[in-house]
Amino acid sequence: MTILKFDNISHQFPDGTRAIREVSLSIPKGELCVLLGPSGAGKSTLLNTVNGIVLPTGGRVVLDGIPVEPANLMAVRSRIGMIHQQLHLVPRLSVLHNVLAGLLPVTPTWRAMLKLFPVDQQRKACRLLEEVELEERQIHRRASDMSGGQQQRVAIARAFINDPDLVLADEPVASLDPTVSRHVLDLLRRASRQRNTTVLCSLHQVEFAQEFADRIVALRHGAVIYDGAPDGLTPEILGAIYDREGAAPVTAPHSDIAAAEMAHAPAALAARAELVG
Amino acid sequence: MSNATETARSTTRPSESWELHRTITPRTIGVLLIIALCAAFSAKNVELDKAVTETWTAIKVMVGLADESRVINGAANFLAKSFPMQISTMQETNRIEGFDPNDLPLFSYVEVRTEREYSVLESNYTEVTSEFLIKPVGYLVKVAVKMWETIEMALWGTVFSILLAVPLAVFGASNFTPHRALYEASRAVCSFNRAMPELILALFFVLMYGFGPIAGIMALALHTSGFLGKFFADEIENADPGPQRALRGTGASRLKVLRFAVLPQVLPQYYAYVQYILERNIRTATVLGIVGAGGIGTELKGRWDLFDYDHVATILLAIFLTVVVLEFLTQRLRAKAM
Repeated sequence: MTILKFDNISHQFPDGTRAIREVSLSIPKGELCVLLGPSGAGKSTLLNTVNGIVLPTGGRVVLDGIPVEPANLMAVRSRIGMIHQQLHLVPRLSVLHNVLAGLLPVTPTWRAMLKLFPVDQQRKACRLLEEVELEERQIHRRASDMSGGQQQRVAIARAFINDPDLVLADEPVASLDPTVSRHVLDLLRRASRQRNTTVLCSLHQVEFAQEFADRIVALRHGAVIYDGAPDGLTPEILGAIYDREGAAPVTAPHSDIAAAEMAHAPAALAARAELVG
Repeated sequence: MSNATETARSTTRPSESWELHRTITPRTIGVLLIIALCAAFSAKNVELDKAVTETWTAIKVMVGLADESRVINGAANFLAKSFPMQISTMQETNRIEGFDPNDLPLFSYVEVRTEREYSVLESNYTEVTSEFLIKPVGYLVKVAVKMWETIEMALWGTVFSILLAVPLAVFGASNFTPHRALYEASRAVCSFNRAMPELILALFFVLMYGFGPIAGIMALALHTSGFLGKFFADEIENADPGPQRALRGTGASRLKVLRFAVLPQVLPQYYAYVQYILERNIRTATVLGIVGAGGIGTELKGRWDLFDYDHVATILLAIFLTVVVLEFLTQRLRAKAM
């Protein structure tokens, strides 16, 4: 059963850069789908078309039968959990309330104003925090007092608290070290497996994608150049994704960073791909 | 165009001939001259010359080179009358309604005084004996009560100021205002409130609500809500947008985002602002009484006009002590909040 469908979508930014070119994908329920590609390949833009932060200039996105349009944006967003690249927790708010903040759309205003959440909702938040391996003594601490990995685990709990159909994760481990990254991605996968929740996650680390994904979609220049199982990623394909010439800095706002990364990427990636596969 | 050619030339010249930085140029000298000229005119305008002569005379009097100086006279006049400070109260017993000599208030006693009065008609002296009720620390108590009233005024003024400032801040923050017009209106109200001095506002409120602390509280609340409204709004605008976007993305309403993503971030700053405004309000409340808006200022003004400088000295000491204690308390509070 398809939960998310990209129907031939394209996006062109006002300055003329084409971030996405005619992407068509359907993602079945419960799948952990990883978007792979160099910086500026269009991963974030594609994710943002799902919750309507970016409205594509061509084609349409359909989430469980609801087209993503300004008119039903709230309906769509209430079914999506979001994990961000920068740790977007509220710094001075407690861990528990950061998780409960995921329930704000369905919380009556007076309860939200008084921070009065019903016991069952608080219990649910606690269960989720337990699931991402946080302890009781940590939940009343401020989010800003937590380490990066802990904060991202709180973000996972927040993304799952309103029982979403789909969780979008935009480079969730970009600011974490490899060991912590693996732990966070493992918890994300476990949480999604347990609830049969679809996860659409962008990553730039190939080895994590191969380790955790059910399916990998590789983008370059905003177009899909690979769509299939993780073991299908051959060194040739990886070379094509991260090709020095192919990654010419035209699509990204951070194009110079992308170019710098790409300058020494192909060799390293080829070597890594050989090790893995 | 000329700029570009100039850059091109300077890069090709050898460094010996490069133009160096000069601190003093004809332009800076010209500017300084103009400032000095303006300052001179202004000084004449505000009679600074007179201030200098009078101060100079005062110094000469002090070292014995001159006989009289109005500066010294004024200061001596005040000092002579202000010492010793007034701490007791004295009241003629036959002016006290229902006075009972067997049931005196705590610590007070009755004194009998005989005074000689000169009668102009008969051109002779008569002796008048009268009884007085003396309360040894009566005036101190009175000043303390008035001072407490002043602090209460400041507290209520601050509370109402916050209540006024919260809506002003939400409407006046460009990222949360419901409408551009409301934003402009809120900012305008804040500017107006800040621009109206408390004393002038108090004059109006005395006219409307009569003498007493209510006028003072309203003047304080209105004036400082202009400050708090602006500070609060600026703080909302400067809050980290990341968490706000994250919560907006889940579909939470603006009000809930304000409560959950903005308020926790700005709260420490809000405490600091409120503390500053409270301190300011207490200082200001002491003088509001001069226009009849309650507090210790009323007593101060009354005694000053009666040349009762000994009473004035007590009041000034009370104000000074309050400000010092307040300073100490807020420092402690701040240290605790950090």
